[in-house]
Amino acid sequence: MDWLQLLVFPAIRALILIFVLLTGFAYLTWYERKLLARFQVRYGPNRAGKFGLLQPAADAVKAFFKEEIIPNHVDKPVYLLAPALALVPALIIWAVIPIAKGTPAIADVNIGFLWILAVAGIESYGIILAGWSSNNNYSLLGALRSSAQMVSYELPLGLFLVSILMLAGSFSLVDLVEGSRQWWEWIWLWLAFPFFFICILAETNRSPFDLPETENELVAGFQTEYGGMKFALFFIAEYVNMISTSAIMATLFFGGWKGPFAEQYIWLGPVYLLIKVLILLFLFIWVRASIGRPRYDQLMKFCWQFMLPLGLVYVSISAVLAVFLK
Amino acid sequence: MPLDVAPVIRSYETQRTLNPPGIPALAPMPTGETDDTRRLCERFGRDIVAAGLHYGNQVVFVEPAQLKALATFLRDDAELNYETLIDVTSVDRSQLPLNGGARFQTVYQFRSYSRNRHLTVVADCKTEPGGNGELPHIDSLTGVYRGAEWPEREVYDLMGIRFDGHPDLRRILMPKSWPNHPLQKQAPLGGEEVPFTFTWDDPEFETLGSQILPAESAAPDLPPGMSRQNMVINMGPHHPSTHGVLRLVVEMDGERIVSIDPDLGFLHSGFEKTGENKRYKDFVYYTDRMDYLSAMSNNLGYCLTIEHMLGLEIPERAQVIRVIMAEMQRIASHLFWLATHVLDVSGTGMSLLMYATRERERILDLFEMACGARLTVSYIRIGGVWQDLPDAFITELKDFLRVMPEKINEYEALITEAPLWQERLTGIGHISADDALAMGLTGPMLRGSGIDWDLRRDRPYCGYESYEFEVPTSDSGDCYGRFNIRMEEMRQSVRILEQAVGNLPSGLYKSNNRKVALPPRAELDVSMEALIHHFKLMTEGFHVSPGFFYNGIENSKGELGFYVYSDGSAKPYRLHVHGPSFNNLYAIDHISRGEMLSDVVTNIGSIDIVLGEVDR
Repeated sequence: MDWLQLLVFPAIRALILIFVLLTGFAYLTWYERKLLARFQVRYGPNRAGKFGLLQPAADAVKAFFKEEIIPNHVDKPVYLLAPALALVPALIIWAVIPIAKGTPAIADVNIGFLWILAVAGIESYGIILAGWSSNNNYSLLGALRSSAQMVSYELPLGLFLVSILMLAGSFSLVDLVEGSRQWWEWIWLWLAFPFFFICILAETNRSPFDLPETENELVAGFQTEYGGMKFALFFIAEYVNMISTSAIMATLFFGGWKGPFAEQYIWLGPVYLLIKVLILLFLFIWVRASIGRPRYDQLMKFCWQFMLPLGLVYVSISAVLAVFLK
Repeated sequence: MPLDVAPVIRSYETQRTLNPPGIPALAPMPTGETDDTRRLCERFGRDIVAAGLHYGNQVVFVEPAQLKALATFLRDDAELNYETLIDVTSVDRSQLPLNGGARFQTVYQFRSYSRNRHLTVVADCKTEPGGNGELPHIDSLTGVYRGAEWPEREVYDLMGIRFDGHPDLRRILMPKSWPNHPLQKQAPLGGEEVPFTFTWDDPEFETLGSQILPAESAAPDLPPGMSRQNMVINMGPHHPSTHGVLRLVVEMDGERIVSIDPDLGFLHSGFEKTGENKRYKDFVYYTDRMDYLSAMSNNLGYCLTIEHMLGLEIPERAQVIRVIMAEMQRIASHLFWLATHVLDVSGTGMSLLMYATRERERILDLFEMACGARLTVSYIRIGGVWQDLPDAFITELKDFLRVMPEKINEYEALITEAPLWQERLTGIGHISADDALAMGLTGPMLRGSGIDWDLRRDRPYCGYESYEFEVPTSDSGDCYGRFNIRMEEMRQSVRILEQAVGNLPSGLYKSNNRKVALPPRAELDVSMEALIHHFKLMTEGFHVSPGFFYNGIENSKGELGFYVYSDGSAKPYRLHVHGPSFNNLYAIDHISRGEMLSDVVTNIGSIDIVLGEVDR
């Protein structure tokens, strides 16, 4: 029984989760393209299937049947490893996110917060290694930018996480969602949300902080030398990351799976989570359609001169609040 | 390594039109005098060969030995004060009755913005025997006017004139191994073996089949002055934001730019050589293809030059239609600039790209109404316009003008005050007024550095003097200043359009002069004379009396100039196009040094180039 509990059930859950996430990724691309098209007075994909709903399938087929090109000058093992390294953290970060009452996606561990921080730390490796192993100036510049950017933005991100942790009083995300919060706690949390969201944008390399790939200067940044399925893996990693971080934000700031009747009907939990994630994804896309990109040095300056001090202030005040009001 | 290829000369290429006796003829000497020519004659005495007015332009012929001294005097003399050198070109006169005169002449266009004067300086080239024939050479003016660097390289490339003292005399438009200098008259119009195709013996193909060359062979030769100590990256010709097929070799120290070497000519199509082999009226269609984003302005610039040489009166209605078209084209061009600039700076997701192209689409629809074409319009012809405006045009245009100011406000609301946008543009690509003048920049690049100059207002053509509009300038000299200028120019163009639409006179839409402009189609059915005129114009064209003339108009990117040298026949003997993008692009190295890689992209967008015109 033990090995069943420890291995088989989690494995089945993980498979289901991966399946859901990859489908979710596919339809996220459709969602983004449709939304961007609406923002830009266009139609978006509308040829493949009704409302272009088969577009993701067509894209997948295309990616699979592309010729596999491995340039001569790359560091082959690292070059092949990098896309996988980019994708894996985006998937495993889901393990600790609660999807319904008392039900985490994989495991209710008592170090949920640390897990998020740790996995977020690994994420940049895929990009750095891709840029380094490609042996291409554009890739290298993209990789350097991304390493600096991700490392920098992890600091304020971590500070905000620590503040939430202090107020919640538990490392477990399941406890965080199910525990009750006072009204001032919610307001205090939501004050931090815009800044947290900015950090997440930088962390996921999404526009306007998509400097590692800046197609206008660096051609395609770290993924310049990648094609076919290997490129698709980076693409999947970016979009799954968007979904994951949206789920994390929903969990931390908006009560995760909670909603009317979610306590009575367990199946409502994932539905509410999905709705919240979709709204947050809309935010990602909205920002992409309307905000220009900063320059690399400006981005770093913003992090170190604004976000980090702000994070420190937020942590200090949160600590005071946690001690005196809870 | 030059290839030894014997050019195949086809018979029709060298055939010229049947000319009346006495043609081809040399351009006559200038007559009369002005204050400036008098002052130059006093200063240089016998070194001035001739001076005076020619087709209304001040012209000075100078001895080649004194050219540099003359240019320095023009720039530094307080009374003359010619701050800028607009254009350098040259004429190969080998097919004219020279009577011992020099074969090659270089032609310089000087401009004084403060005094609103234009001066053409012509100098014979010294020749020395060598190579396969003679090697013409002349002093370089790069030491006096910095902006002469690229035009002189162009002259060297296309005409083979060497400039003594030029810092970097390389080919600029043609491939390095091109066998001849194409604008020399003996160079055939086509027929050369094109050295683009390499043989399999070339070392560059040793690694073919291994997908991508090993890294060490990726950059075969660095431009002079660049060092491998720094990172050298190759932007373009296949790069998302070099606006076509521009190639920039960028030397970087980290992400800071050390120097940039633009590599041009990927889109070179030899418009000037083609022009010399077309009848005057047939070149209008080629002008569309140069700056394909402002075809109307190109048509207009060319037609105005020829009409001035013909002394042709243009009917009032045609003038106003031309203004309408030119201003609509300016808005369309600026809209496309805005769209691509935002795209370059802010990324593909930015919606403004589509908003700006949406409005541009309406303008193109209007063009389609007027002439059936959207991009390569050829609507403005010598003598007027091709056909009258359709009835619905004015209503549609009025509707567009009602909407457009709101739309401009909409764009501005989206980015002008946005902090990210301001931070990306403010202080980037800075050009001081002195540099702008020395480099011969024109258009918004010049006005962005605080020089209040607009050909429409200061040297009016097409009746621009009767319209009320303002010329926006900015003292900041950076990308943000230029951005604001172009946004304001769109508003001013709307203003001009409103005035033009408001008092569009009735009358002829093209000149009644049947020797130049085609008779209307209906007339052909009833008038034998009209048929003869039609036949003569379609087969022979019209003759322009010998002479040369430079005329510039203000298009959306700057001063678009046409220099035409006529030998009296029905084809231009020499046709030179001064494209604003070409001169403005010269600034890219200067303004990008010390800035970051992202700023190069901002600068390219801010210069607003169209490669069709840069490469011509």
